[in-house]
Amino acid sequence: MTKPVITVEHLHKSYGDLKAVDDLNFSIGPADCFGFLGPNGAGKSTLMRILYGTAERELRPETRVDVFGFDPRTRELDIKFLSGVVPQENNLDEELNVNQNLLVYSKFYGMTGREAGERISSLLEFFELSDKRKSKIRELSGGMKRRLTIARALLHTPRLLILDEPTTGLDPQVRHLIWDKLRELKKEGLTVLITTHYMDEAFQLCDTILIMDKGRKAMEGPPQELLDGNIEHYVLEIVGTDAAKNRSDAPVPDGVRVDLAHERPVYYSNEAHLLRRISKGLGHGEYHLRESNLEDLFLKLTGRELNELQ
Amino acid sequence: MNSNRLPSLSHRLYSVWFRHVLVYTRNILSNGLPPFMDPLIFLAGVGLGLGKYIVSMENMPYIQFLASGLLVTSAMYTSAFECTYGTFIRLEFDKVYDGMLAAPITTSDLILGEILWAGTKGFFFSFAVLIMVSVFGVIPLSTSVFAPFVGFLTGILFGAMSLLITSFVKTINHFSFYFTGVLSPMFFFSGVVFPVSSLPKVAQPIAWTLPLSHPVALARALCTGRFHSGLLLNVLYILALTALTGAFAVRRLRKRLVQ
Repeated sequence: MTKPVITVEHLHKSYGDLKAVDDLNFSIGPADCFGFLGPNGAGKSTLMRILYGTAERELRPETRVDVFGFDPRTRELDIKFLSGVVPQENNLDEELNVNQNLLVYSKFYGMTGREAGERISSLLEFFELSDKRKSKIRELSGGMKRRLTIARALLHTPRLLILDEPTTGLDPQVRHLIWDKLRELKKEGLTVLITTHYMDEAFQLCDTILIMDKGRKAMEGPPQELLDGNIEHYVLEIVGTDAAKNRSDAPVPDGVRVDLAHERPVYYSNEAHLLRRISKGLGHGEYHLRESNLEDLFLKLTGRELNELQ
Repeated sequence: MNSNRLPSLSHRLYSVWFRHVLVYTRNILSNGLPPFMDPLIFLAGVGLGLGKYIVSMENMPYIQFLASGLLVTSAMYTSAFECTYGTFIRLEFDKVYDGMLAAPITTSDLILGEILWAGTKGFFFSFAVLIMVSVFGVIPLSTSVFAPFVGFLTGILFGAMSLLITSFVKTINHFSFYFTGVLSPMFFFSGVVFPVSSLPKVAQPIAWTLPLSHPVALARALCTGRFHSGLLLNVLYILALTALTGAFAVRRLRKRLVQ
């Protein structure tokens, strides 16, 4: 078996009384795309920061954190040199233009001027930003800023790309563009670590996902396998309010599970015809019968209620 | 795959410094002109007005006395502004540091790079004052040409001190306490506008504890050519206080940057 790029064993992190990361274990192989899913406040960003050394973990003898063979506590520079990081906030340098933003980072990575010039041109082209090279950051749209931040993380051709919610708040066109680009990079052998709370994003990109809840691992595996093994194949959502009221106290047939949270019942079953039977009598637009997805699994695992951090 | 090696400490400091130079030189006119304008206004004000009432001080024309202090105060103010408001904005508002820390840069690289940049600005501001006062013959060209190096020392000293202040500040408005409560009194009691020796005997030792007194003494010596061994103590004081406040600033700011 190939040596993993990242190994984490028994990782803990608290802020005061709050446990942000609670006994987390996982490992990521080369050229894998590994996704961390979890509600806001589940400890995803903290975990990312621990990996590249801008957050400190709790010191325990059983804990082990290894990235490319380096411990971020003592060798943060080596790790950062081999990795590209796309933080949750773009934090581009507003005082510099697009080209200069990248130029400054090329210095951080010890690139020569010529090397940097060529790399910047090809990255701007790759992310369809070539005509923005001289633009001020203020003039860029949210999607452009995000693409520029990803380009910045790729300047030095890293072996690991860490993305913290790469497409939050972006429109569908930009999201799909970014996904396409990430897939291309993955094909070239880049290891990708991604946090997200978009289930479709995780499903589209990740080989393996780890669902976190309250700092703990709730589930880990390839997305399709997790779906097959942990949730029914079909979902029936009752949409209309009146219809929902009428249905909530109706008897539930065998082979159907019902979730009555939030007034509107949601029915789950492996047999689509059982759900179709329940929907009989409902008008068009009053219900939605579909295949289950990661979001359903996610809600099943982490609950529908908001926690105090969301 | 990146064929480059992990950048060395000096390269990392240089790249942080480079970022500041790039930002500063982007608006070369609005950033580059005021350092030259300021001494002009001062020369006009003192030369046309105040200079007629106070003719000489410490055996030199008063305008020369004051100008040699100005070489240092311009460096003090620019480095203090840079490492308070400037740093705070990069730290809290623009989150520039958060981004930079994802690159192979440590928090101490960041802070040391800031201090070096403050020194560079101090050098440049002293240089600008030197040019103007020399052109108008206020300070004769002599060992005074080395005054920008005192500007550099002033820059790193007040850069480090101001970063330490910044590490305590939670809202940007609090910096006004530092400017009116610390820097303004220092301007008046550190030998810039009148010699420390003319203060009451009891107050003199206190004046010598003020950081600004020491670069002022150095700049004045360079401008007058009156050198003495006590100047070494001034240099030592500056370096020691820079190292001390700088080290504390690094430690405290690291806590704000690393969770």
